[in-house]
Amino acid sequence: MPDISLEKVLFSYPGGVEVYPEPGLTLALESGVTALVGENGAGKTTLTKLLIGLLRPRSGDINVAGLDVSKTTVAAMAKTVGYTFQNPDDQLFERTVKAEVTFGPRVLKRPPADVERGVAAAIKACGLAGKEDVHPHDLGLSERKWVAIASALASEPSVVVLDEPTLGQDYPSRQRLRELVMRLGSEGKIVLVVTHDMDFVGEACPTTVVLSHGAVRYAGPTSNAFGDRALLKEAGIEPPHVTELAQAIGLRQCVNEAEFLATWRR
Amino acid sequence: MSEPAVVFEDVGYAYEEAPHEAVSDINLRIEAGEWVGVTGPTNAGKSTLCLLAMGLAPHFFGGKLRGKVTVLGTESRAIKVIERSTDVGLLFQNPFTQISGARERVHEEVAFGPECHGVAPAEIEARVGEAMDLVGISALAARHPLDLSGGQLQRLALASLLAMRPKVLLLDEPTSQLDPAGTAAIFEVLSGLHQSGITIVMVEHRLETLCELCPRIVAMVTGRILADGAPQEVFNREVVQERVGLPVYTRLARSAALPAPRPVRLSESAKAFRTPIA
Ligand SMILES: Nc1ncnc2c1ncn2[C@@H]1O[C@H](COP(=O)(O)OP(=O)(O)OP(=O)(O)O)[C@@H](O)[C@H]1O
Ligand SMILES: [Mg+2]
Repeated sequence: MPDISLEKVLFSYPGGVEVYPEPGLTLALESGVTALVGENGAGKTTLTKLLIGLLRPRSGDINVAGLDVSKTTVAAMAKTVGYTFQNPDDQLFERTVKAEVTFGPRVLKRPPADVERGVAAAIKACGLAGKEDVHPHDLGLSERKWVAIASALASEPSVVVLDEPTLGQDYPSRQRLRELVMRLGSEGKIVLVVTHDMDFVGEACPTTVVLSHGAVRYAGPTSNAFGDRALLKEAGIEPPHVTELAQAIGLRQCVNEAEFLATWRR
Repeated sequence: MSEPAVVFEDVGYAYEEAPHEAVSDINLRIEAGEWVGVTGPTNAGKSTLCLLAMGLAPHFFGGKLRGKVTVLGTESRAIKVIERSTDVGLLFQNPFTQISGARERVHEEVAFGPECHGVAPAEIEARVGEAMDLVGISALAARHPLDLSGGQLQRLALASLLAMRPKVLLLDEPTSQLDPAGTAAIFEVLSGLHQSGITIVMVEHRLETLCELCPRIVAMVTGRILADGAPQEVFNREVVQERVGLPVYTRLARSAALPAPRPVRLSESAKAFRTPIA
């Protein structure tokens, strides 16, 4: 059984927008790191909120790591899934970074030793060491994004869903993020990353799902995700910079820098 | 020569109650019609630079300003932000900040700025239509601003700004939430504005994009300007590579041990990788 599955999911906002066209969204994800890409308004954020039960589908089934989301409360989902909002300000409300990151595991009533371990590891992995006592709102947007990520990781969830973690991140931060998601993936976690940064997709995500106008247009290895130009255009995607360079000099398709250099040297 | 668009003279600025200055020793002269890319790691002071040019720092944020910030000939201390906003537009890093909260529909939100400045109704209608079209949100005109996706909201923020027809645009990561196609479309729009003589100061982390678009790059680190010049020159400097990072193309050329100066753009890069190493 796949680790995340959606079966014929239909959903519309009260305003009336039908996000996933008939017969609904069907998708299966295995553990490891998956990128979720697609044009603005494609339904990526909506999908992530459906996965954690924050939004409820009108019909269809959603299973996440063995949980039937329709039968699970948001609070119970939080034990399994670590989630960050696209806008970090939607989720930060504590007065210090440490309090913010500790909030999740504390509310989940994890044993104190686990809380301490999870919080310390998350703060370190997110580059927030030394900023524990800072008020999140005294940090810049990109750092607030990291506080949100740390909060999602602190309770050591087996599923991690990050909505645009690359937003506003400088190069060193994107490197840190890459190391982080790759490590989570290699630990056997299910990691879903929504992003518009195709360089990041090529570097950090072995699997890619392309969502366009609410429909899954591609789901498979990232190495084949950028081949179909027509599809890319429809989904508002441009290939990674290395892919463009490889194409310009007649090399076979590459999606990350290591691949490019290896191919070029041959 | 006409008067410069933006001038920073020995500028230092500390936010209210902050122990240190967020930016220091800033000397920068941007001529009218330039398109300048500003980049640098977290906390480099890029957003602060924008807030200073707009006058929001110190008028709205308080704090302590040293030196002089002059935009279109008027020093920031001498003009209210509302007056400045006729000629100068700032796109906030977080588009949510930009939304007035006073309007129920997307097209009304775009009209809000010009209305506040007493632009004639027929003129407003024309500007609103044009601005929504330019950023690709015409189909969303009747939607509520707060019911948009992140990228749609960022497009709305930009449309609101363009409807003001500013002479100087200060853009803090204008496409951070846009899909790649939308990003390309917005940069087309900005290229058009640049060609018509608008001055653009644009904060951006995607160095490849900056190098393709901006003839001049200002690289900042911890509140100071580290380098200021043409992309190829700036990103071939070792301190910049170390502290700010470098475009994919430049990094690949370095990893492949291609000779310096290394390419910063796709076309040059393709040429460099095609040329056999002697
Ligand atoms: N609160 C809401 N009320 C009504 N419609 C909404 C709401 N939030 C999103 N929508 C609409 O639902 C559709 C899917 O939005 P969603 O936020 O899932 O897109 P997305 O793929 O995450 O886009 P982006 O890349 O811009 O973040 C869009 O048409 C959007 O306008
Ligand atoms: Mg989204």
